[in-house]
Amino acid sequence: MSREVKFIAACGAGVNSSHQIKDAVEEEMKKRGYNVKVDAYMVKDVNEELLSHYDGYLTIAKTDLSFTPKIPLIDAGAILYRIPTMAKPVYDNVEKVVKEINAK
Amino acid sequence: MKVDSLFSPKAVFVSDAIDSTAVLKEVSENLLQQDLVKADFFTEIAKREADYPTGIDTSPIAKELPNIAVPHTEGEFVNTRLVIPVALKSTVGFKNMIAPDQELPVKFLFMILNNDPEGQANILAQIMDFLRLTSVSKLQELFSLTDPDKIYQFLSEYFKQ
Repeated sequence: MSREVKFIAACGAGVNSSHQIKDAVEEEMKKRGYNVKVDAYMVKDVNEELLSHYDGYLTIAKTDLSFTPKIPLIDAGAILYRIPTMAKPVYDNVEKVVKEINAK
Repeated sequence: MKVDSLFSPKAVFVSDAIDSTAVLKEVSENLLQQDLVKADFFTEIAKREADYPTGIDTSPIAKELPNIAVPHTEGEFVNTRLVIPVALKSTVGFKNMIAPDQELPVKFLFMILNNDPEGQANILAQIMDFLRLTSVSKLQELFSLTDPDKIYQFLSEYFKQ
């Protein structure tokens, strides 16, 4: 298996939405044969230094950050509905980032 | 009540509040009296709702369903792991969680108290599965109830845990 690709998921309280996205993305990427780890955070704790340790940022809402992230942002809010057709485009975007990292 | 039930018969509400802050305050004060939350809970959940709203547009699940909201805050301000159902007599505006510039008319709250986010099945996922897997007509029955005991009975029967 290729190297672990790390994502951050962040929501307001860091408990519900971000954990749901973490669980869903880790499970789906495992199914697709990738080694992906997602850490859940509170949005207020997300800063440039923290993001520098990750390969991608799974966002729930369009959040105004005070800086421009250098890593890809993936709009992952649709996963929360747990409707496969809504989640698939998000997973596909995650997979694209994972493939790009693995190709490096 | 089952030991691990996500609902408590004493923590189900029907509110005639007309805005989101009022309903959060009304419910928070009752939860504090029952020692289910800490003293700062209302301040924290109201601030969280303003900064990171929790309204959910249910139209992707079924167009006939009213919208819901899932207000919650960090585990350190709560003393338990429960879902607090709140039926709203009139719709109340909550901002959309995934598109915060959009305000949704909301008819029902599933307030999430979670002092153990890591340990167990994700409560928000369970709520979304409940909405997705219960028939629209059954859900409409739930969303029209105005008696806390009937809401509790309904959720005990249909909300899979």
